[in-house]
Amino acid sequence: MTTTATQLGQADGGPDGSAPDSQTPNELREQKWLAAVGQRVLGQWGGRIGLVWVVLLSVIAVFAPFLASSHPLLMTKDGVTTSPLLEHLSAADVVLLVAFFAALLLWVVGLLRPVNAAFGGGSRAWVWVGVTLGAIVVCPLVMSPPPLTVLSQYREAEAAGELERVVFTVLPFSATDRQAERPTRDKSFRPPSARHPMGTTLSGADVMSRMIHATRVALAVGVIATGLSLVIGIAVGGMMGYFSGVVDLLGMRLVEVFSAIPVLFLLIIIVATRDERNIYLMMTVIGLLSWVGYALYIRAEFLKLRQADYVQAARAVGVSVPGILFRHLLPNGVTPVLVLASFGVASAILYESTLSFLGLGLVDEPSWGGLLNEARKAGTHWGLVWFPGLAIFLTVFALNLVGDALREALDPRSVK
Amino acid sequence: MSDEQNKAAVDQSSPLLDVQGLSVSFGNSGDGDGGRLIASDRVSMSVYAGQTLAVVGESGSGKSVSAMSVLRLIPTPPGSYDAGRIVWRGGREAVERDLLTLSEKAMRGVRGREIAMIFQEPMTSLNPVYTIGEQITEAVLLHQDVTGAEAVKIAERALRDVGIAEPVGRLKEYPHQLSGGMRQRVMIAMALACEPELLLADEPTTALDVTIQAQILELLRKLQVSRGMAMMLITHDLGVVAENADTVAVMFAGRVVEFTDVHTLFERPLHPYTRGLLGSMPVLGQKVDRLGTVDDNATIPADFPSGYTVAEHDASAAGTGAYGGEGSLLHEVEPGHWVLCTAEGEGKPTPARLSGLRGAAVKTAV
Repeated sequence: MTTTATQLGQADGGPDGSAPDSQTPNELREQKWLAAVGQRVLGQWGGRIGLVWVVLLSVIAVFAPFLASSHPLLMTKDGVTTSPLLEHLSAADVVLLVAFFAALLLWVVGLLRPVNAAFGGGSRAWVWVGVTLGAIVVCPLVMSPPPLTVLSQYREAEAAGELERVVFTVLPFSATDRQAERPTRDKSFRPPSARHPMGTTLSGADVMSRMIHATRVALAVGVIATGLSLVIGIAVGGMMGYFSGVVDLLGMRLVEVFSAIPVLFLLIIIVATRDERNIYLMMTVIGLLSWVGYALYIRAEFLKLRQADYVQAARAVGVSVPGILFRHLLPNGVTPVLVLASFGVASAILYESTLSFLGLGLVDEPSWGGLLNEARKAGTHWGLVWFPGLAIFLTVFALNLVGDALREALDPRSVK
Repeated sequence: MSDEQNKAAVDQSSPLLDVQGLSVSFGNSGDGDGGRLIASDRVSMSVYAGQTLAVVGESGSGKSVSAMSVLRLIPTPPGSYDAGRIVWRGGREAVERDLLTLSEKAMRGVRGREIAMIFQEPMTSLNPVYTIGEQITEAVLLHQDVTGAEAVKIAERALRDVGIAEPVGRLKEYPHQLSGGMRQRVMIAMALACEPELLLADEPTTALDVTIQAQILELLRKLQVSRGMAMMLITHDLGVVAENADTVAVMFAGRVVEFTDVHTLFERPLHPYTRGLLGSMPVLGQKVDRLGTVDDNATIPADFPSGYTVAEHDASAAGTGAYGGEGSLLHEVEPGHWVLCTAEGEGKPTPARLSGLRGAAVKTAV
């Protein structure tokens, strides 16, 4: 065996190392499978529209501070040029940017070889997860954005002519920038205008800016809550399906208990009885309560697949139980769950919007549901209903379209 | 390398795999004493290094269960190993290894690395979501200390060895892109990538059409000789047995009824079931109205006809009374020829290496 290894090593180092040989097995799989599914999803108009909307929202969410901020991008004052926007980026902003550009570099540019060379193998997905997790840990430690500043200071400085040069973002208002220049109680909101394309809220904050920043809350709740329930659902369902017997029996009782809990009402109770509003608590509760569907699907798939010949073959080759569960069963059984998950994201977004609409959302943080709640109050303009309402509708609709397209794409009967 | 050969030569005396009185049963799902089905009853057979043991029998006679038990692949909640030992590499290692009592972790080291298995159904034995390359490299990476790129090289060579043209391109293909014969070749490549000492082939050609069958068997034979590998070939095709086996174990209703070398089996079958089985084969150039049939529909030991007498199936001198039932054991009725019957003395569980066989002859020629 040792002789073959050295021979191989030499052959590898040789000049004739043709390109396809040097690809790792993971790379081979990812390209083919993802490409095939992606093509089939994009082949349907519903999938195309849905994906375009979701990708657009994600880009808006990542670049929200660069789209709408009261901090100027560039500012020259007394001969010193600074970028207040960059200085005021929060750790969350940077994490999102890191994750976005890591994905861009890995998938679009194809920067895997150097990374692989440095860290010794691994698929792109794992590299991305590693980078993102690293950013989540490092950014809050390293970064110390200045505490809250008076957001109107830049506008006032510009008006007073103190700045030699100033470049604002496209929409020069932060989500929490209240322009109560005329704090008359009756008319503190403004309808859409050139300065505020979607008008302002009752407290004078720019609606468009709030809409942009609210995409973050919506997507974060959707993705993180669904991710959590996926992890729980796959773990519980996988064990039920693979081990069956007593494990299955206990798991099913757990499923019954959890499917009896009305998610929205429990959410309202938990959120309403706590003093501080916490988005992560919301995500956790949604995630903890909506894994039942995933678990049932995975269980059914695993029960069917564990008898499969290739699972026997994998055992005969000496693959361990976790290897069989995650490498052989999961990829074959996860497809119906993926479909369910895209509907899950939509429903998590709806939960958050509902809570915010009921006035139980985050205080002061932008949210589509919160804007709708504000629209309920007397005397506001039409935009407050239409813009967030449409955003929620389109997003949920788009995610359902994606889910439908995924179901079509993964259904072997529909594949020609 | 020469050391290894010398060592192997020394070790020819003891079997590579020795199944001794293996009993496997299956329970009705968890309702206590609802009667267990005995799938394999006091099965004894042995495989010597470099030789092929063919296990013949009709469906449900316990052939596959016995082979699966060697790798301990029977799921144990419904199934259970009730008795017996499976001695692996006996006499070659300081501590004798009984595959039935080995830890699960140690067993994983044996599976694929020391004993590999190929299955009946190539269409479904490959994972549909992985490429051929990934599935072979997975097996390689599990058992050999190599990098991913080296594993790909090994996989490539394994594919070339089983006669697949353009292995580099094939590595990136999915199972559904290959034909049945190709897939069985891939399965063989996967099984042999780690150079096991014993290959369990569970009806490797049943699902393939006849011309492909011949190719696959030829390939297995070639690979076996070139690697000096032992093989346990499970089949119900007596033609396959005649062409490929050194020794044969005939199974019926969960029991081994006859165990001998391939020439003796076809020339002097002693057990009535074996006689019936051979009698049911058409002979070229001979006209008959009806082929002979084996009437005994027993598939589980409980149904084994206890009064299985010689008279029913053209008696021979060797038998002494009953050829079945609880009390019968494998007895060496003539040198190198074991038959299930009631005779005096203890049944002998481990037949000695049978000499003058095809595999051995070929090996010395090489």
